[in-house]
Amino acid sequence: MKRRSRRVASAVAAFTATALLAACGSSGSDAQSSSVKAGGYTGPKVTVTFWNGWTGGNAPQLVPKLVNSFNSSHSNIVVKDVPMQWADIEAKMPLAVKAGKGPDLVVGEPDWISTYAGEGLLLPADSFVKSAGYTASSFPPGDLANGKYNGKQYGVPWSVTPLALYVNKSVLSKAGLSTTSLPTDSQSYDKEMAALRAKGIQGGWVDPYFFTGVFQFETLLWQNGGELFNTDKSKSTFNSPAGVKALTWMVDQIKQGNSPANVAQDGDINALITGKTAFNWNGVWQTTNDALTKVNWTAAPVPQIGEKKAVWSSSTDWAFVNNAGKEDTNVTQAASVFVQWMNDHSLGWADTGELPADNKVRDDPKLLQQHPDLKPFLEELEYAHFETVSPGIVNAEAQINTAVNNAILLKQTPQAALSTAATKADQILQQNKQEYGD
Amino acid sequence: MTEATLAGGSARRTVVAGRPRRRHANNRAGWLFLTPFLVLFAGFVITPALMGLWISLHRWNPVLPRKPFIGLDNYKELFTPGSLTFGDFWQSMGATGLFTVLSVPFLVVIPLILAVLLNRRLPGIGVLRAIFFAPYVLGAAVIALMWRYLLDPQNGAVNGLLAMLGVTTQIPWTVDSPWVWITLVAVTVWWTSGFNMVIYLAGLKGIDKELYDAAAVDGASSMHTFFAVTLPGLRPVMAFVTTMTILNSANMFGQSYLLTVGHPGTSTRTVVMYIANYGLSGGQMGAASAMSYVLFAFLAIISIINYRLQTRESRP
Repeated sequence: MKRRSRRVASAVAAFTATALLAACGSSGSDAQSSSVKAGGYTGPKVTVTFWNGWTGGNAPQLVPKLVNSFNSSHSNIVVKDVPMQWADIEAKMPLAVKAGKGPDLVVGEPDWISTYAGEGLLLPADSFVKSAGYTASSFPPGDLANGKYNGKQYGVPWSVTPLALYVNKSVLSKAGLSTTSLPTDSQSYDKEMAALRAKGIQGGWVDPYFFTGVFQFETLLWQNGGELFNTDKSKSTFNSPAGVKALTWMVDQIKQGNSPANVAQDGDINALITGKTAFNWNGVWQTTNDALTKVNWTAAPVPQIGEKKAVWSSSTDWAFVNNAGKEDTNVTQAASVFVQWMNDHSLGWADTGELPADNKVRDDPKLLQQHPDLKPFLEELEYAHFETVSPGIVNAEAQINTAVNNAILLKQTPQAALSTAATKADQILQQNKQEYGD
Repeated sequence: MTEATLAGGSARRTVVAGRPRRRHANNRAGWLFLTPFLVLFAGFVITPALMGLWISLHRWNPVLPRKPFIGLDNYKELFTPGSLTFGDFWQSMGATGLFTVLSVPFLVVIPLILAVLLNRRLPGIGVLRAIFFAPYVLGAAVIALMWRYLLDPQNGAVNGLLAMLGVTTQIPWTVDSPWVWITLVAVTVWWTSGFNMVIYLAGLKGIDKELYDAAAVDGASSMHTFFAVTLPGLRPVMAFVTTMTILNSANMFGQSYLLTVGHPGTSTRTVVMYIANYGLSGGQMGAASAMSYVLFAFLAIISIINYRLQTRESRP
């Protein structure tokens, strides 16, 4: 259930390692990079089928434009854009690929990419990454590494979508608070909340759902120095003191009167839009929310409540599909050309409420000229945490949703909710190890 | 008559003595007519059912090459407290059971009342019937989204109306128990009552008009007529409606998937939702198949009991 409808994510790219391996050998990198650079595919005309979940926001207009532009500048490659709901991709991908009827290229979140990799559905992209000249410093810290599974690169970064603090400036003004010096730490956040409470405003709503309660919880956990799972993903650690502290802080927001209990799905952002609250921790995708155009809003990096800076971010990667284990080398080669072309042309992707992962695109001053709202989100990427990567991890992560929900709805104490979830998650992790046996 | 002929009882044969060939031909034609159905039935019901049984005996992730045979382990796990699936499965069975118990009485009685009220010749009655039936044609996603907006605790129209009437607490219709159950049942009743109503209306047309005339002549009150004529006349229809409604409620998925996301905690996660999630997202088709068979066993038992009760009642 991790897919976000309004959020535009990424697609997977099909990539045949053999082609590049052949090109690789021990020869210089010039030969390789020329084989994957835009327009670098010289074989017969091929069609690259590309599945993506880009159905929301501006994506339905933007993606066909990009694809057409690519197709018209590459005479021997036809990219076939197949948008569908994320959940449909998840449901269809594994069996379609097994049957050889899957896409050649797909975009997805790294936790799913690692699951697909564990299921043998993908081709390693190490040679592509090398020949395209991508290194860890081409992307936000940790983003490229997060596309790895079992020592091999499967995901190639495409976009990142961090959380930030959305602010309704009208509400702050009405309460006599500054709209420029926004809270940056625990102390200033509490002070702001108290001032809003004094005016009868519940200043920062806490949401009991995956959107956005879980994002806030994970942000706070990392800020407190915690981790969701141990290094080899065999045990949950989200119930550590750091996790309990994080969830307790969220529950306290309700107890202190900064948030009503029982906030509805999307109730937090709706409250910001309707001027019922001043702050909301939400994702960068909200920058394209039409309803916000009527609101006097701004965004700031999430305040540092814990001992260090950290923020939740989702990300999406390209991945090359290994259809029935006999993907056409030419198609993969062509797909890799498309991937690099898309990354190079991803400046406009901010229109969809996602940040391009490619640093050189994000560093282009044009990005902030066109989207000044994105500044706080860009600043946060230095300390952003991305998805946990391990096959089947999504099923263990689902337990966190239940724990956060139970605690925020005051059904269980944070400690009890997290312990229950951790016990179950550990059983799932154990099952994953048996099943994928990495 | 046709039935008897097809069944080929020996008594029947003596009656139609001298025409055994005809009987044989009838049989063949019968099978011929049945063939398209049987092919579909075998292909889409029998085969998947048997495959499901086979899969339930394995640890079966459809995309992994290793699908080890584990005998009855998937079933044993479902009955072993503390196992990965035990708590969640029985909790979701409980959620489904609760929803069924809460919703079926309303789904049987309210459509009946509607049908009786709308079963008269009045100008514009067709429009009224259509209005009550209309929600049924909407998809689960549509009704769920619509009610999520209406029942939103903080911004919804329902709580807005209640506030105007002086109810100041924000009722968490879609968020917290027990309200979520009221929501799920009420939305389902609103959504599907029209269908049961139409079945009842058809049943009402089948009741002999003379019985009502006789009741009127005897001076029976309308209430008395309802219990003495209408209700007994509808008994076979009611048996059908009850059975179908129980099965539909036991298969509830969309409402809690979309309206409450299975929350609070996992308390409104129905068994079908859990099976689908565990099997498809979790890649545990073996365990999920075993759960389906356990659910099937429950539904079969309930259906048999239900059928026995209804047929016993309908005996004079």
